[in-house]
Amino acid sequence: MSKQYLQTHTITNAQPTDVFALAVTPTQVLSASGSSSIKVFATKGQVINADLAEDENPYPLVQILEKAHALGCHHLCASIDGRTAASVGFAGEVKVWESGPEDGIWKEKGTILVEDKKAGERWALALSENGRYLACTTHDGRINVYDTTTLADGSADQVSRFETKGSIGTAIDISPNGEMTASGHQNGAIYIFNNGASRLTHSLSGLIKAVRSVKFSPANKYLAAAGDARIISLYDTQSGEQIANFTGHGSWIMSLDWNWSGELLLSGGYDGKVKVWSIERRECVATQTESDKCLWAVKWLPRTAAARNEMFVTAGAARTLAFYREASGT
Amino acid sequence: MDNADFDDLDHLLGGDEMLYDPFEGPLTSSMPPESNEYQSMSLTSNPGEPIGLAVDISNELTRQLCSSERLSFGPKTDVKAKIEAIFDEMLDALLHKQDQLSLTLKVRRRQRAQQHSTANEVREKQITFPGKTPEEAWRFSVVVRILELVHVALRDDVVLSKRDIYYRDPALFGSQAYVDRYIDDIAYTFGTTRSALNITAAAKGLIVGAAVFCRKDGSLIEVRNDNRGVLVPPLADLLSADLTNVKWVLVVEKEATFRSIASSPFWKVLSSRGIAITAKGYPDIASRDLLNFLVTPTIRNGFASPTVYGLMDFDPDGIAIMSTYREGSIALAHEGETLCVPQMKWLGLRSEHILLVQDTTHGSQGLLRLTDRDRKKAREMLQDYLASSATGDEIASELQRMLMLNVKAELQLLDAIPNGIERLLETAVAVNEA
Repeated sequence: MSKQYLQTHTITNAQPTDVFALAVTPTQVLSASGSSSIKVFATKGQVINADLAEDENPYPLVQILEKAHALGCHHLCASIDGRTAASVGFAGEVKVWESGPEDGIWKEKGTILVEDKKAGERWALALSENGRYLACTTHDGRINVYDTTTLADGSADQVSRFETKGSIGTAIDISPNGEMTASGHQNGAIYIFNNGASRLTHSLSGLIKAVRSVKFSPANKYLAAAGDARIISLYDTQSGEQIANFTGHGSWIMSLDWNWSGELLLSGGYDGKVKVWSIERRECVATQTESDKCLWAVKWLPRTAAARNEMFVTAGAARTLAFYREASGT
Repeated sequence: MDNADFDDLDHLLGGDEMLYDPFEGPLTSSMPPESNEYQSMSLTSNPGEPIGLAVDISNELTRQLCSSERLSFGPKTDVKAKIEAIFDEMLDALLHKQDQLSLTLKVRRRQRAQQHSTANEVREKQITFPGKTPEEAWRFSVVVRILELVHVALRDDVVLSKRDIYYRDPALFGSQAYVDRYIDDIAYTFGTTRSALNITAAAKGLIVGAAVFCRKDGSLIEVRNDNRGVLVPPLADLLSADLTNVKWVLVVEKEATFRSIASSPFWKVLSSRGIAITAKGYPDIASRDLLNFLVTPTIRNGFASPTVYGLMDFDPDGIAIMSTYREGSIALAHEGETLCVPQMKWLGLRSEHILLVQDTTHGSQGLLRLTDRDRKKAREMLQDYLASSATGDEIASELQRMLMLNVKAELQLLDAIPNGIERLLETAVAVNEA
């Protein structure tokens, strides 16, 4: 049985150029693009009712982080608690942001400047659950983990460092329990590291082509990975075994996200198609064709008491943010 | 078959300084009698052909490409016949299951022209296939491939550049330098000049299409008659251009793509309504000059302002080439805006074209990962662009996408799609003419 998702709202021209990355907190969506500013939209978790006047603009723009990255920003992430965010610019600088506990207003906490030339161009990044640790891949395949509490004067203490075989780290994730880091690479390699022991635990095979997204499931049990192979591979994080393959995307898969319960996986493709997959049934349960433009980022919105139905947001080369909600079915 | 035939041959060849007596030469000492017979057959079967070769067949087939300066044939037909004879012999050798094929090239002593007086020594280099080493097999393939291309050029009466030859098979030749060297060796072996092989050094820009130029001396250059393109005429020589039929101008980065467009069914459209230009990479001033002249309305071009399209590789160099046409080159900043064509539309390749080939295995092989140099260059270009123009500029956006995808694509990728180039062009032209 398939599910129905309805597009409930779109923010057109959310950014002046391609939206390359999205991050969600319990109350906001942050968007990063080829422009220098990061834009923050409130989600509040309300029920959309088109008849009510205040719902005409359900996702108002609440903050613009001006001139965050002069050459544009390609990766952006937020900690699960929603208090810390981090972004990387095309020049290679990383910025860490902190959200005010009362007002939810973001402030720059500090910058990790580009080190000397040999350090490697920084690429994808991920934050631990409470935002303390920041893991960042480089173009030559390294993974550097920084302690954001030590951020000062353009640098932060590097607490660990993993070496891989020199292929650009195109994707990274830290498990929700903080124990594991996973990285995906251009050459198709996928690695799982144990953060406590600071060592490689699994080198996962299977995709061959460039990996564009790796994501741990909410209960840390699975790792989902996808990319140019147009397949989503599901791995058991303990055994390292590949336990499922989801096929159905007709083009490169650019982005993945698990819903809060770990029952559904969301994927966005280079051809503008977004799919929802059931982990239990191991099949695609919904496909939405937004446009033929690349979807750089797809994200579930965190579940709130007010919104009974699952919602997700997509963004990409069309420069819009599109919000979807599961149709009630009643 | 007897000696007399060979005497005749010697006469025909006329090259006394390097011919050896076929029955006394070291190569023929082991010649088995049956091969001798076979050889006579192959020669007598082509009595009308001016075979510029002394041919020997032993356990290997040896060929001597000989001097022909004193022949009365036109140099080009002569070279063509010689090449045909070589291939005939090679075919025979294959049919008779010879173990090895071999060619003999005359190699010049590398020296300057003024020392030429002492240059009566001719070094001969024998190249066999399969040969003793992989290098030798490769050398043989290179020479045969060049001979084949020269033959086609002579047959069709096309002039090729050395660069063309290289681009016909870059994987085989490896480097332009080898092509240059073997072309010169072949010309020397045939005892002729490079131009008699219909090969020139690479000239820069080429133009083809529905335009007629009028030179200052009153002569006309029609560029529609020849789908191989004519060299971009120096602007200083031109009085005016008739662009009545020209709706658009297509600027192509690579000559290979220029040629495949001109030889595709799209040629019909091109020769009646458009112009194609290539400057073979980063444009020279002559090509930019002419392009600017074509698309800027003045009395000299009949106030024409055709739409300009750029078709480049999807890589930092392709984008830089586009930007050179549009905004000028950094090295020639002092030339100001006179050479720039800011209205050039970027037809491709762009990030969206990657979608076209993702599905085909063949096509996705045309997608390459960015090298560290590419990434560095793209970042620097991005910095320059964003410093000088507004966010959202299409070039900056494409550079960002390229970095995001970590992928580049060459124009040849369109060859992987059936009618790839034509489809791309026809769509653009349809939009333009609508």
